[in-house]
Amino acid sequence: MSKLKVTFTQGVLVDDVISTPVDRYEHRFRRHWIVAILLIVVVLALFLWWYFGRDSAVAYNDIVEHFKYGSLGSEPGGTVFTTVGGNLPPYWIFKTLPKICPDKIPGGYAGYGFVYEPNHDLPIGISRRFRLGLDQVGLNCSVCHTGIVRGAPGEQPKIIPGMPAHQLDLYAFLKGLVGCSLDPRLTAGNVVDKLKESGESMGIMERLILPTAIGQVRTQTQDLANKIGILLDSPSPWGRGRVDTFNPYKAIQLNWDLSKLPPDELIGAADFPQLWNQAPREGMHLHFDGNNTSVDERNLSAALGAGVLPTTVDYESLSRIRDWIQKLPPPKYPWDIDNAKADRGKATYEKECASCHAFGSSKVGTVEPIESVNTDPFRMNAYTYIFSTNQWALYPESPERFTHFRKTYGYANVPLDGVWARAPYLHNGSVPTMWDLLMDPKDRPKSFHNGYDVYDKKNMGFITTGPEAEQAGTPYDTSLKGNGNGGHLWGVKLPTDQKWDLIEYMKTL
Amino acid sequence: MVQLEQRKKRWPVVVGVILVIAALLAWGVWYKLFREVDTYYASNLDHWRHGSIGTEGQQGMPLWIFMVLPRMFPEYLPRPGGWGSLGLATANADELPIGFTKITVGIERVGINCAFCHTATYRLAPGPPTGPPGPEADVQTNIVDAGPGHQFRVQSYQWFLWSCARDSRFDSKHIMAEIARIYKMSFVDKLLYRFALIPFTKRALLKQQEQFSWTEQRPPWLSGRVDPFNPVKYDVLKVPKDDTVGNSDIPSVWNQKARPGLFARHWDDLNPDFKEVIINSAIGDGSTLKWIDNDLKKWDGEGEGRSHFRRIYDYLEDAPVPKYPLPIDQGLAAKGKPIYDKECASCHAFGAERTGKVIPADEVGTDTNRLAMWTEGAVVAYTNLAAAYSWKLVHFEKNNGWEACGLDGVWLRAPYLHNGSVPTLEDLLNPVDQRPKKFYRGYDVLDHQHVGFITSGPEAEKYGQLMDTSVRGNSNVGHLWGVNLPEDQKKALVEYMKTL
Repeated sequence: MSKLKVTFTQGVLVDDVISTPVDRYEHRFRRHWIVAILLIVVVLALFLWWYFGRDSAVAYNDIVEHFKYGSLGSEPGGTVFTTVGGNLPPYWIFKTLPKICPDKIPGGYAGYGFVYEPNHDLPIGISRRFRLGLDQVGLNCSVCHTGIVRGAPGEQPKIIPGMPAHQLDLYAFLKGLVGCSLDPRLTAGNVVDKLKESGESMGIMERLILPTAIGQVRTQTQDLANKIGILLDSPSPWGRGRVDTFNPYKAIQLNWDLSKLPPDELIGAADFPQLWNQAPREGMHLHFDGNNTSVDERNLSAALGAGVLPTTVDYESLSRIRDWIQKLPPPKYPWDIDNAKADRGKATYEKECASCHAFGSSKVGTVEPIESVNTDPFRMNAYTYIFSTNQWALYPESPERFTHFRKTYGYANVPLDGVWARAPYLHNGSVPTMWDLLMDPKDRPKSFHNGYDVYDKKNMGFITTGPEAEQAGTPYDTSLKGNGNGGHLWGVKLPTDQKWDLIEYMKTL
Repeated sequence: MVQLEQRKKRWPVVVGVILVIAALLAWGVWYKLFREVDTYYASNLDHWRHGSIGTEGQQGMPLWIFMVLPRMFPEYLPRPGGWGSLGLATANADELPIGFTKITVGIERVGINCAFCHTATYRLAPGPPTGPPGPEADVQTNIVDAGPGHQFRVQSYQWFLWSCARDSRFDSKHIMAEIARIYKMSFVDKLLYRFALIPFTKRALLKQQEQFSWTEQRPPWLSGRVDPFNPVKYDVLKVPKDDTVGNSDIPSVWNQKARPGLFARHWDDLNPDFKEVIINSAIGDGSTLKWIDNDLKKWDGEGEGRSHFRRIYDYLEDAPVPKYPLPIDQGLAAKGKPIYDKECASCHAFGAERTGKVIPADEVGTDTNRLAMWTEGAVVAYTNLAAAYSWKLVHFEKNNGWEACGLDGVWLRAPYLHNGSVPTLEDLLNPVDQRPKKFYRGYDVLDHQHVGFITSGPEAEKYGQLMDTSVRGNSNVGHLWGVNLPEDQKKALVEYMKTL
């Protein structure tokens, strides 16, 4: 026993004996050096972990500002190793794209109908959020649900949050975005140069990451183009004020090969709807074909379209918007109303329209069978039973999982609050004004331009003909698949003066 | 001295710490890989659709791998549509199609149950987007529980999983990236998936494909058919591989109370006992004997922990026979009844002399491949399988004939004969040379005129699979009863059969 102790003690002694002060100094120095490197590595790792893990959206206390510019989480997320979600390039790239390819994005984003306000460098509908070490941008609800309207060509457009973005050409925007993101002119050097021209500059970290980020944008855009390219080459382009809600979803969320679906199923463009007054809509059949009866699910599903995923969605942000649109009142008709005429029209409305379209009526919010409403069937057909079964599995194991989506065989009877601001009419925007909707389908306009923001006070709708409308709008041909303007014959046989009274009354809704 | 004594005292502590860590690790492994938590369904119908039959432990796929496969590998499915493209039906906005179970065995796992094959769908008209829009009742997909899964491509499902496993993207990197889209996984689960579950699953699927390699040399099962016993023969009973072809229709399993006692079941009545049929079918699906043993002990139990098999048994006793969904010409049907009574009832009406008995193969004259598949050796092997347990499998038998089956809901049981070789009732009443030689199986739109499904035309070709009756096991010969009836009597008979 004691032997062992001695040996042990000797071992320590021996070590001590051979070490000189110089040895000790060197030893200590070497040790410090290693500790210092370790410390630097740890600090750097912590910094990178913090920097790339930071998730912070530009926040807005004001709810309208939040609606217009706040983030739903639709920016790319996940981790730098597995990036998920998002469908727009990072902030600095997004801002410079129109300058990098002016031929592919003529007129900048404003040319597509995006609305810019003072004191904001991004248009309404584009949010900004720091994720994955970069300022990212994403789409939010207001991109499709903020409309502009003018009473006359010389006026300033009035911006109405919650109104359908009838002026927005999302179709051309996507094409421009895809085209420019894949353009060889998109290089780190060009981004930096274009920023310099406008007197802006990015941080050192972002500059370092930029080339990698551009590479990622290319890969992701190529993937997006592979998935939805067939939709962006449609025989029936969406045009201003419309989107095909569910077909991109089939490709992006479910990774379906769209070229293997029946070609007619790929035609599903529908008008942007309004977002106000949601509380009384709870339980009604929402979406134009009435495929969902839950406001929350409808909101979350729309957020998926904007680019969020179950793992990147910002539920808090979404619920703020939800609370706000529950009670958001419809916009008042901004011009004079002839009250005497409107009073006369009320009786007609109650007789001819109310049973399907007034809150509290027996049929409002139900699905009108296709053989009864008889409007264009393409949008209805684009939403299929098998698609709904796949939606049910989109948020597995989550309390937010979709359980209200159902295939329907008709179009929903929608409440008509703020209907003056919801032109053009029918689910596919095929009828420019309320006057036209009260005409026999054969007398409704066959070709016109949607997206011009000057209002037609007489006919109730936007001006869709004439050089200004042609310049500002996109052409609409009712003979194309999905664009049919037939059906919905209620009221077409009314005497002319009753129609005018009815229209006057509908301005008050 | 002091130092050494301290050391001496320390070692039991070290050993103790190591033991505690080892115990914790073992508990962790048990918790994350073996701990079983069942999922309870209050209604027998939901239990039928999604209740476990004990396939998860052996065959179950980790939930998050299962959830991402259709999105990751759509190219291996018949067409866009996810699991539905295989003919699997989903009801009530469930996240899993009917026939898939989800229980915890360590982690959540997805398995299959009886409803996987025994769920039928039908539509009255094609409807949009490929047909014209029509009234909802006509074009919607109707789900019939306990019906024959005529539209379900079992083999395509297997092939899908194996193709995924063979794909180079079936690795931790790609699958974890895909999971990251839909689920924020805990750190421990991430490690488990990345380093264990994903590679294990890949290996298990490839091994399963190896086990099923014999199917590559034999005719394809096609939509709505399986070779029900060869997989069990080779892999569970260890019977040497033979060259038999057992391809046969998935039957309906509703209304078992009309088939009391020992009643011919399976096409050749290889086992007439309903309880044993549930057990042996579950073994075919991958249930483990240990799970079955445990479940059968609770056969007469009560409450949430009661026997799963018993609940299936109870559900199928009363599972309703679907009514023919369109108006029936009652006058014509009334004319058909005496013909049915005279020509068919003695073998096919419940309570009749030969119903539920075995009819000699020579008398029936249909394709005999399915008969040759089941051998005396298999009877012995299957009987021995359960010999060590308190429950037994004692009713296996070898027959050289076919069950005379009850015809309840026969309108939804097309195509007809055990191998599904005759598309419609009308075709079955025709002489063999007038029966279709090639047709498409699996399209779920009803053929009102001939009673069966639509089996030709562009839609049937697109959504169905080609059944060639000249292929081994697919012959449409035999069962000549009624073929010599006059045309008007055949019409009346078919109309009457819609009422069954």
